[in-house]
Amino acid sequence: MPDDFNFTIGETTFAKMLARKKEMGFGDKEWDKWLDYIFTQNDTQKSTQDIIERCMKKLYDEQFYDYWVQNFALNLNNIWNESSAKELDPTKGSSYKMQEHSALVIGRGPSIKKNKHLELLANSDYNGTIVCCDGALITALEAGVTPEKFSNFYVVTIDTQDVIKEWYDDPIVDKYGKKIKGVFSTVVNPSTVERARQAGIKIHWLHALFDHGEGKKSFNQTSALMIRAKNHPNGLPAIQTGGNVGTSSWFVSWQILKCSTVALIGINHGWTEDDPWEVIISHGKTSLPLDMDKNSPIFKKLFPKIYNPEFNCNCILDPIFQYYSIALKEFITRSPNWVNTINATEGGCIFGKRIKCVTLRQFLTEYHN
Amino acid sequence: MKANFNIKKNTESDETAKVNEKSTESKKELTESEFEEFIVKSGAKGSFMIFRSAKKEDELGLEEL
Repeated sequence: MPDDFNFTIGETTFAKMLARKKEMGFGDKEWDKWLDYIFTQNDTQKSTQDIIERCMKKLYDEQFYDYWVQNFALNLNNIWNESSAKELDPTKGSSYKMQEHSALVIGRGPSIKKNKHLELLANSDYNGTIVCCDGALITALEAGVTPEKFSNFYVVTIDTQDVIKEWYDDPIVDKYGKKIKGVFSTVVNPSTVERARQAGIKIHWLHALFDHGEGKKSFNQTSALMIRAKNHPNGLPAIQTGGNVGTSSWFVSWQILKCSTVALIGINHGWTEDDPWEVIISHGKTSLPLDMDKNSPIFKKLFPKIYNPEFNCNCILDPIFQYYSIALKEFITRSPNWVNTINATEGGCIFGKRIKCVTLRQFLTEYHN
Repeated sequence: MKANFNIKKNTESDETAKVNEKSTESKKELTESEFEEFIVKSGAKGSFMIFRSAKKEDELGLEEL
Protein backbone atom coordinates (compact mmCIF):
# COMPACT_ATOMS: atom_id res chain seq x y z
CA MET A 1 0.00 0.00 0.00
CA PRO A 2 1.44 3.42 -0.91
CA ASP A 3 2.52 5.64 2.00
CA ASP A 4 0.86 8.75 0.55
CA PHE A 5 -2.56 7.17 -0.05
CA ASN A 6 -5.42 9.64 0.13
CA PHE A 7 -8.85 10.10 -1.34
CA THR A 8 -11.44 12.86 -1.63
CA ILE A 9 -15.08 12.72 -0.68
CA GLY A 10 -17.86 15.25 -1.19
CA GLU A 11 -18.91 17.67 1.51
CA THR A 12 -22.43 16.21 1.64
CA THR A 13 -21.11 12.66 1.93
CA PHE A 14 -18.78 13.70 4.74
CA ALA A 15 -21.64 15.42 6.59
CA LYS A 16 -23.69 12.23 6.29
CA MET A 17 -20.78 10.16 7.58
CA LEU A 18 -20.33 12.45 10.57
CA ALA A 19 -24.03 12.27 11.39
CA ARG A 20 -24.18 8.48 11.04
CA LYS A 21 -21.01 8.01 13.13
CA LYS A 22 -22.60 10.03 15.92
CA GLU A 23 -25.96 8.25 15.64
CA MET A 24 -24.26 4.89 15.96
CA GLY A 25 -22.62 5.93 19.22
CA PHE A 26 -19.16 6.57 17.76
CA GLY A 27 -19.30 10.37 17.87
CA ASP A 28 -16.20 10.79 20.01
CA LYS A 29 -14.41 7.63 18.88
CA GLU A 30 -11.77 7.13 16.22
CA TRP A 31 -12.90 6.81 12.61
CA ASP A 32 -11.09 3.50 12.32
CA LYS A 33 -13.08 2.03 15.23
CA TRP A 34 -16.37 3.03 13.62
CA LEU A 35 -15.47 1.69 10.18
CA ASP A 36 -14.17 -1.55 11.66
CA TYR A 37 -17.47 -1.95 13.55
CA ILE A 38 -19.46 -1.51 10.33
CA PHE A 39 -17.44 -4.13 8.48
CA THR A 40 -17.71 -6.67 11.28
CA GLN A 41 -21.48 -6.23 11.58
CA ASN A 42 -22.27 -8.54 8.67
CA ASP A 43 -20.21 -11.36 10.18
CA THR A 44 -21.87 -10.94 13.57
CA GLN A 45 -25.31 -10.84 12.00
CA LYS A 46 -24.62 -14.03 10.07
CA SER A 47 -23.45 -15.83 13.19
CA THR A 48 -26.50 -14.64 15.18
CA GLN A 49 -28.75 -15.75 12.35
CA ASP A 50 -27.23 -19.25 12.36
CA ILE A 51 -27.70 -19.59 16.11
CA ILE A 52 -31.29 -18.35 16.01
CA GLU A 53 -32.23 -20.58 13.08
CA ARG A 54 -30.74 -23.72 14.64
CA CYS A 55 -32.48 -23.04 17.91
CA MET A 56 -35.84 -22.24 16.31
CA LYS A 57 -35.65 -25.40 14.19
CA LYS A 58 -35.10 -27.47 17.31
CA LEU A 59 -38.00 -25.81 19.12
CA TYR A 60 -40.37 -26.20 16.18
CA ASP A 61 -39.39 -29.84 15.71
CA GLU A 62 -40.04 -30.55 19.39
CA GLN A 63 -43.15 -28.45 19.93
CA PHE A 64 -45.03 -28.21 16.67
CA TYR A 65 -44.24 -31.10 14.32
CA ASP A 66 -47.00 -33.40 15.66
CA TYR A 67 -49.47 -30.56 15.55
CA TRP A 68 -48.65 -29.76 11.90
CA VAL A 69 -49.09 -33.40 10.88
CA GLN A 70 -52.43 -33.51 12.67
CA ASN A 71 -53.62 -30.31 10.95
CA PHE A 72 -52.58 -31.69 7.58
CA ALA A 73 -54.45 -34.96 8.16
CA LEU A 74 -57.64 -33.08 9.01
CA ASN A 75 -57.25 -30.79 5.98
CA LEU A 76 -56.47 -33.51 3.45
CA ASN A 77 -59.98 -34.22 2.24
CA ASN A 78 -60.59 -30.51 1.65
CA ILE A 79 -57.22 -30.13 -0.06
CA TRP A 80 -58.21 -32.90 -2.48
CA ASN A 81 -61.51 -31.17 -3.23
CA GLU A 82 -60.41 -27.55 -3.35
CA SER A 83 -58.08 -25.49 -5.53
CA SER A 84 -54.34 -25.35 -5.79
CA ALA A 85 -52.71 -21.92 -5.41
CA LYS A 86 -51.30 -22.66 -8.85
CA GLU A 87 -54.70 -21.66 -10.24
CA LEU A 88 -53.95 -18.09 -9.18
CA ASP A 89 -51.01 -17.90 -11.58
CA PRO A 90 -52.08 -15.30 -14.16
CA THR A 91 -49.35 -16.11 -16.69
CA LYS A 92 -51.52 -18.83 -18.24
CA GLY A 93 -53.19 -15.97 -20.13
CA SER A 94 -50.78 -15.13 -22.95
CA SER A 95 -51.36 -11.36 -22.68
CA TYR A 96 -50.18 -11.12 -19.07
CA LYS A 97 -46.98 -9.12 -18.62
CA MET A 98 -45.41 -9.44 -15.18
CA GLN A 99 -43.58 -6.14 -15.41
CA GLU A 100 -46.88 -4.29 -15.68
CA HIS A 101 -48.20 -5.58 -12.37
CA SER A 102 -47.53 -4.71 -8.78
CA ALA A 103 -48.75 -6.11 -5.49
CA LEU A 104 -49.09 -4.36 -2.18
CA VAL A 105 -48.54 -6.56 0.88
CA ILE A 106 -50.40 -5.36 3.97
CA GLY A 107 -48.99 -6.43 7.33
CA ARG A 108 -50.18 -5.45 10.78
CA GLY A 109 -47.06 -3.69 12.00
CA PRO A 110 -47.53 -0.52 14.09
CA SER A 111 -46.50 1.84 11.29
CA ILE A 112 -49.71 1.12 9.43
CA LYS A 113 -51.77 2.85 12.08
CA LYS A 114 -49.19 5.50 12.86
CA ASN A 115 -48.94 6.57 9.21
CA LYS A 116 -52.66 6.10 8.42
CA HIS A 117 -51.65 3.88 5.52
CA LEU A 118 -54.95 2.03 5.20
CA GLU A 119 -56.88 5.28 4.91
CA LEU A 120 -54.40 6.59 2.35
CA LEU A 121 -54.67 3.39 0.33
CA ALA A 122 -58.49 3.28 0.56
CA ASN A 123 -58.67 6.77 -0.90
CA SER A 124 -56.16 6.11 -3.68
CA ASP A 125 -56.74 5.03 -7.26
CA TYR A 126 -54.35 2.07 -6.92
CA ASN A 127 -55.49 -0.71 -9.22
CA GLY A 128 -52.86 -3.34 -8.42
CA THR A 129 -53.07 -6.50 -6.38
CA ILE A 130 -53.69 -6.46 -2.63
CA VAL A 131 -52.10 -9.26 -0.62
CA CYS A 132 -53.33 -8.97 2.93
CA CYS A 133 -51.73 -10.82 5.83
CA ASP A 134 -54.48 -12.53 7.82
CA GLY A 135 -53.83 -10.44 10.92
CA ALA A 136 -54.46 -7.23 8.98
CA LEU A 137 -57.63 -8.39 7.20
CA ILE A 138 -60.32 -7.04 9.53
CA THR A 139 -58.68 -3.63 10.00
CA ALA A 140 -58.03 -3.32 6.27
CA LEU A 141 -61.66 -4.06 5.42
CA GLU A 142 -62.87 -1.70 8.13
CA ALA A 143 -60.66 1.06 6.71
CA GLY A 144 -62.20 0.69 3.27
CA VAL A 145 -59.49 -1.46 1.68
CA THR A 146 -62.03 -3.94 0.37
CA PRO A 147 -62.31 -6.32 -2.61
CA GLU A 148 -65.08 -4.09 -3.98
CA LYS A 149 -62.58 -1.30 -4.40
CA PHE A 150 -59.55 -3.50 -5.12
CA SER A 151 -60.74 -6.41 -7.24
CA ASN A 152 -57.53 -8.45 -6.98
CA PHE A 153 -57.72 -9.05 -3.26
CA TYR A 154 -55.96 -11.96 -1.53
CA VAL A 155 -55.50 -13.03 2.05
CA VAL A 156 -52.68 -15.32 3.22
CA THR A 157 -52.52 -17.64 6.25
CA ILE A 158 -49.44 -19.63 7.24
CA ASP A 159 -49.60 -19.72 11.02
CA THR A 160 -50.83 -23.10 12.27
CA GLN A 161 -52.25 -22.17 15.67
CA ASP A 162 -56.00 -22.28 16.26
CA VAL A 163 -56.11 -18.67 17.52
CA ILE A 164 -55.61 -17.52 13.92
CA LYS A 165 -59.29 -18.29 13.35
CA GLU A 166 -60.00 -14.97 15.08
CA TRP A 167 -58.59 -13.08 12.11
CA TYR A 168 -61.55 -14.38 10.07
CA ASP A 169 -64.19 -14.35 12.76
CA ASP A 170 -65.89 -11.01 12.09
CA PRO A 171 -69.05 -9.89 10.27
CA ILE A 172 -67.01 -7.67 7.96
CA VAL A 173 -65.12 -10.75 6.70
CA ASP A 174 -68.48 -12.45 6.10
CA LYS A 175 -69.61 -9.37 4.17
CA TYR A 176 -66.69 -9.37 1.72
CA GLY A 177 -65.54 -12.99 1.89
CA LYS A 178 -66.96 -14.11 -1.43
CA LYS A 179 -64.79 -11.57 -3.25
CA ILE A 180 -61.59 -12.53 -1.41
CA LYS A 181 -59.21 -15.24 -2.60
CA GLY A 182 -57.52 -17.11 0.23
CA VAL A 183 -54.06 -18.70 0.16
CA PHE A 184 -53.59 -21.29 2.90
CA SER A 185 -50.79 -23.64 3.81
CA THR A 186 -51.72 -27.32 4.11
CA VAL A 187 -50.76 -27.33 7.81
CA VAL A 188 -52.97 -24.43 8.89
CA ASN A 189 -55.37 -25.33 11.67
CA PRO A 190 -58.58 -26.73 10.10
CA SER A 191 -60.78 -24.49 12.28
CA THR A 192 -59.10 -21.41 10.76
CA VAL A 193 -59.69 -22.61 7.21
CA GLU A 194 -63.26 -23.58 8.04
CA ARG A 195 -64.04 -20.10 9.40
CA ALA A 196 -62.62 -18.53 6.23
CA ARG A 197 -64.62 -20.99 4.13
CA GLN A 198 -67.81 -20.08 6.02
CA ALA A 199 -67.14 -16.42 5.20
CA GLY A 200 -67.19 -17.33 1.51
CA ILE A 201 -63.44 -17.04 0.94
CA LYS A 202 -62.30 -19.38 -1.83
CA ILE A 203 -59.48 -21.56 -0.49
CA HIS A 204 -56.29 -22.09 -2.51
CA TRP A 205 -53.74 -24.48 -1.04
CA LEU A 206 -49.97 -24.53 -1.07
CA HIS A 207 -47.17 -26.22 0.83
CA ALA A 208 -45.17 -24.36 3.46
CA LEU A 209 -41.63 -25.70 3.07
CA PHE A 210 -39.79 -26.67 6.22
CA ASP A 211 -38.16 -30.10 5.90
CA HIS A 212 -38.19 -30.81 2.17
CA GLY A 213 -34.40 -30.96 2.14
CA GLU A 214 -34.41 -33.97 4.45
CA GLY A 215 -35.35 -36.31 1.60
CA LYS A 216 -38.16 -38.44 0.31
CA LYS A 217 -39.40 -39.35 3.77
CA SER A 218 -39.61 -35.76 4.91
CA PHE A 219 -43.05 -34.49 5.83
CA ASN A 220 -43.05 -32.04 2.90
CA GLN A 221 -42.38 -34.83 0.40
CA THR A 222 -44.67 -37.42 2.02
CA SER A 223 -47.60 -34.99 2.28
CA ALA A 224 -47.01 -33.94 -1.34
CA LEU A 225 -47.34 -37.58 -2.44
CA MET A 226 -50.58 -37.91 -0.51
CA ILE A 227 -52.00 -34.77 -2.13
CA ARG A 228 -51.01 -35.98 -5.61
CA ALA A 229 -52.93 -39.21 -5.00
CA LYS A 230 -56.26 -37.51 -5.76
CA ASN A 231 -57.29 -34.56 -7.96
CA HIS A 232 -53.90 -32.80 -7.84
CA PRO A 233 -51.67 -34.93 -10.10
CA ASN A 234 -49.14 -32.10 -10.37
CA GLY A 235 -49.17 -31.31 -6.68
CA LEU A 236 -49.23 -27.82 -5.18
CA PRO A 237 -46.82 -24.88 -5.24
CA ALA A 238 -44.45 -24.85 -2.28
CA ILE A 239 -43.22 -21.63 -0.75
CA GLN A 240 -40.54 -20.47 1.62
CA THR A 241 -42.48 -18.85 4.45
CA GLY A 242 -39.55 -17.04 5.99
CA GLY A 243 -41.19 -18.02 9.27
CA ASN A 244 -44.11 -15.60 9.10
CA VAL A 245 -47.08 -14.50 7.07
CA GLY A 246 -45.53 -11.18 5.98
CA THR A 247 -42.60 -12.85 4.27
CA SER A 248 -44.95 -15.54 2.92
CA SER A 249 -47.14 -12.83 1.40
CA TRP A 250 -44.08 -11.31 -0.28
CA PHE A 251 -43.25 -14.73 -1.77
CA VAL A 252 -46.88 -15.33 -2.84
CA SER A 253 -46.94 -11.92 -4.58
CA TRP A 254 -44.14 -12.65 -7.01
CA GLN A 255 -43.94 -16.42 -7.05
CA ILE A 256 -47.64 -17.30 -7.31
CA LEU A 257 -49.30 -14.06 -8.44
CA LYS A 258 -46.38 -13.11 -10.72
CA CYS A 259 -46.25 -9.43 -9.82
CA SER A 260 -42.82 -8.06 -10.63
CA THR A 261 -43.09 -5.20 -8.14
CA VAL A 262 -43.95 -6.03 -4.55
CA ALA A 263 -44.48 -3.21 -2.08
CA LEU A 264 -44.75 -3.66 1.68
CA ILE A 265 -46.71 -1.74 4.27
CA GLY A 266 -47.06 -2.70 7.92
CA ILE A 267 -44.05 -5.01 7.66
CA ASN A 268 -42.02 -3.55 10.53
CA HIS A 269 -40.48 -6.74 11.93
CA GLY A 270 -39.47 -4.78 14.99
CA TRP A 271 -40.61 -2.66 17.91
CA THR A 272 -40.45 1.07 18.45
CA GLU A 273 -38.68 2.74 21.37
CA ASP A 274 -42.12 3.60 22.79
CA ASP A 275 -43.15 -0.03 23.17
CA PRO A 276 -42.96 -1.35 26.77
CA TRP A 277 -40.14 -3.79 27.49
CA GLU A 278 -42.57 -6.43 28.81
CA VAL A 279 -44.18 -6.50 25.38
CA ILE A 280 -40.86 -6.55 23.53
CA ILE A 281 -39.33 -9.29 25.66
CA SER A 282 -42.30 -11.65 25.25
CA HIS A 283 -42.81 -10.83 21.56
CA GLY A 284 -46.13 -9.18 22.21
CA LYS A 285 -47.40 -10.99 25.28
CA THR A 286 -47.64 -8.75 28.32
CA SER A 287 -48.52 -11.57 30.69
CA LEU A 288 -45.05 -13.06 30.97
CA PRO A 289 -42.72 -10.55 32.60
CA LEU A 290 -39.13 -11.74 32.56
CA ASP A 291 -36.51 -10.21 34.76
CA MET A 292 -33.46 -9.49 32.65
CA ASP A 293 -30.47 -7.21 33.05
CA LYS A 294 -31.02 -4.75 30.23
CA ASN A 295 -27.38 -3.68 30.31
CA SER A 296 -25.95 -7.16 29.91
CA PRO A 297 -24.17 -8.07 26.65
CA ILE A 298 -26.59 -10.97 26.15
CA PHE A 299 -29.57 -8.65 26.40
CA LYS A 300 -28.04 -6.39 23.77
CA LYS A 301 -27.58 -9.39 21.48
CA LEU A 302 -31.14 -10.54 22.05
CA PHE A 303 -32.67 -7.08 21.67
CA PRO A 304 -30.44 -4.97 19.41
CA LYS A 305 -31.52 -1.43 18.62
CA ILE A 306 -30.88 -0.54 15.03
CA TYR A 307 -31.10 2.71 13.16
CA ASN A 308 -33.08 2.70 9.93
CA PRO A 309 -31.50 5.45 7.82
CA GLU A 310 -34.13 5.14 5.09
CA PHE A 311 -36.97 6.14 7.37
CA ASN A 312 -34.81 7.92 9.97
CA CYS A 313 -36.03 5.90 12.93
CA ASN A 314 -34.74 3.48 15.53
CA CYS A 315 -36.12 -0.01 15.75
CA ILE A 316 -35.74 -2.62 18.50
CA LEU A 317 -35.59 -6.24 17.47
CA ASP A 318 -36.47 -9.22 19.64
CA PRO A 319 -35.12 -12.70 18.80
CA ILE A 320 -38.22 -13.61 16.79
CA PHE A 321 -38.02 -10.40 14.76
CA GLN A 322 -34.30 -11.01 14.22
CA TYR A 323 -35.22 -14.47 12.93
CA TYR A 324 -37.79 -12.97 10.54
CA SER A 325 -36.07 -9.81 9.39
CA ILE A 326 -32.59 -11.17 8.68
CA ALA A 327 -34.19 -13.91 6.56
CA LEU A 328 -36.54 -11.58 4.67
CA LYS A 329 -33.66 -9.29 3.77
CA GLU A 330 -31.62 -12.29 2.66
CA PHE A 331 -34.42 -13.64 0.46
CA ILE A 332 -35.01 -10.23 -1.11
CA THR A 333 -31.32 -10.14 -2.02
CA ARG A 334 -31.56 -13.64 -3.52
CA SER A 335 -34.85 -13.11 -5.39
CA PRO A 336 -34.80 -13.18 -9.21
CA ASN A 337 -33.64 -9.98 -10.88
CA TRP A 338 -37.11 -9.27 -12.24
CA VAL A 339 -38.49 -8.87 -8.70
CA ASN A 340 -38.50 -5.30 -7.39
CA THR A 341 -39.14 -4.93 -3.70
CA ILE A 342 -40.36 -1.60 -2.39
CA ASN A 343 -40.70 -1.00 1.32
CA ALA A 344 -43.32 1.67 1.96
CA THR A 345 -43.76 0.76 5.63
CA GLU A 346 -42.15 4.04 6.74
CA GLY A 347 -40.76 2.38 9.85
CA GLY A 348 -39.30 -0.90 11.01
CA CYS A 349 -36.05 -2.56 10.05
CA ILE A 350 -36.45 -3.79 6.47
CA PHE A 351 -33.91 -1.89 4.41
CA GLY A 352 -30.74 -2.67 2.50
CA LYS A 353 -29.64 -4.27 -0.72
CA ARG A 354 -32.34 -4.47 -3.43
CA ILE A 355 -34.93 -2.79 -1.19
CA LYS A 356 -36.18 0.56 -2.39
CA CYS A 357 -37.63 2.52 0.52
CA VAL A 358 -40.25 5.14 -0.26
CA THR A 359 -43.33 6.60 1.39
CA LEU A 360 -46.64 4.94 0.57
CA ARG A 361 -47.74 8.18 -1.03
CA GLN A 362 -44.75 8.04 -3.39
CA PHE A 363 -45.48 4.40 -4.23
CA LEU A 364 -49.12 5.17 -5.01
CA THR A 365 -48.07 8.06 -7.22
CA GLU A 366 -45.69 5.90 -9.25
CA TYR A 367 -47.66 2.65 -9.42
CA HIS A 368 -51.26 2.28 -10.46
CA ASN A 369 -51.47 -1.33 -11.60
CA MET B 1 -14.25 20.27 0.63
CA LYS B 2 -11.29 17.96 0.62
CA ALA B 3 -10.64 15.28 3.23
CA ASN B 4 -7.53 13.19 3.41
CA PHE B 5 -7.65 9.82 5.09
CA ASN B 6 -4.22 8.85 6.29
CA ILE B 7 -3.26 5.25 6.76
CA LYS B 8 -1.73 4.44 10.13
CA LYS B 9 0.36 1.30 9.91
CA ASN B 10 -0.52 -1.42 12.41
CA THR B 11 2.03 -1.85 15.16
CA GLU B 12 2.57 -5.04 17.07
CA SER B 13 0.64 -3.66 20.05
CA ASP B 14 -2.29 -2.74 17.79
CA GLU B 15 -2.46 -6.31 16.54
CA THR B 16 -2.34 -7.67 20.06
CA ALA B 17 -5.07 -5.27 21.14
CA LYS B 18 -7.17 -6.34 18.19
CA VAL B 19 -6.83 -10.02 19.04
CA ASN B 20 -7.70 -9.35 22.69
CA GLU B 21 -10.68 -7.24 21.64
CA LYS B 22 -11.95 -10.01 19.37
CA SER B 23 -11.45 -12.55 22.10
CA THR B 24 -13.49 -10.45 24.56
CA GLU B 25 -16.12 -9.93 21.89
CA SER B 26 -16.43 -13.64 21.24
CA LYS B 27 -17.03 -14.18 24.96
CA LYS B 28 -20.03 -11.88 24.59
CA GLU B 29 -21.43 -13.93 21.69
CA LEU B 30 -24.87 -15.30 22.21
CA THR B 31 -24.74 -19.06 22.57
CA GLU B 32 -27.38 -21.45 21.33
CA SER B 33 -28.25 -22.63 24.82
CA GLU B 34 -28.59 -19.07 26.13
CA PHE B 35 -30.86 -18.26 23.25
CA GLU B 36 -32.94 -21.38 23.71
CA GLU B 37 -33.25 -20.76 27.43
CA PHE B 38 -34.50 -17.26 26.78
CA ILE B 39 -37.06 -18.33 24.17
CA VAL B 40 -38.49 -21.01 26.44
CA LYS B 41 -38.67 -18.68 29.46
CA SER B 42 -40.17 -15.74 27.59
CA GLY B 43 -42.91 -17.78 25.96
CA ALA B 44 -42.20 -15.90 22.73
CA LYS B 45 -43.43 -17.89 19.76
CA GLY B 46 -42.91 -17.38 16.09
CA SER B 47 -45.38 -18.41 13.45
CA PHE B 48 -43.47 -20.90 11.37
CA MET B 49 -40.04 -22.18 10.47
CA ILE B 50 -37.57 -20.90 7.92
CA PHE B 51 -36.75 -23.59 5.38
CA ARG B 52 -33.10 -24.37 4.72
CA SER B 53 -31.73 -26.88 2.25
CA ALA B 54 -28.44 -28.05 0.80
CA LYS B 55 -29.99 -27.12 -2.55
CA LYS B 56 -29.98 -23.38 -2.06
CA GLU B 57 -32.26 -22.71 -5.05
CA ASP B 58 -35.03 -24.76 -3.37
CA GLU B 59 -35.04 -22.30 -0.48
CA LEU B 60 -36.83 -19.77 -2.71
CA GLY B 61 -39.72 -22.19 -3.29
CA LEU B 62 -40.85 -24.85 -5.75
CA GLU B 63 -43.29 -24.33 -8.63
CA GLU B 64 -44.94 -27.65 -7.84
CA LEU B 65 -44.37 -30.30 -5.20
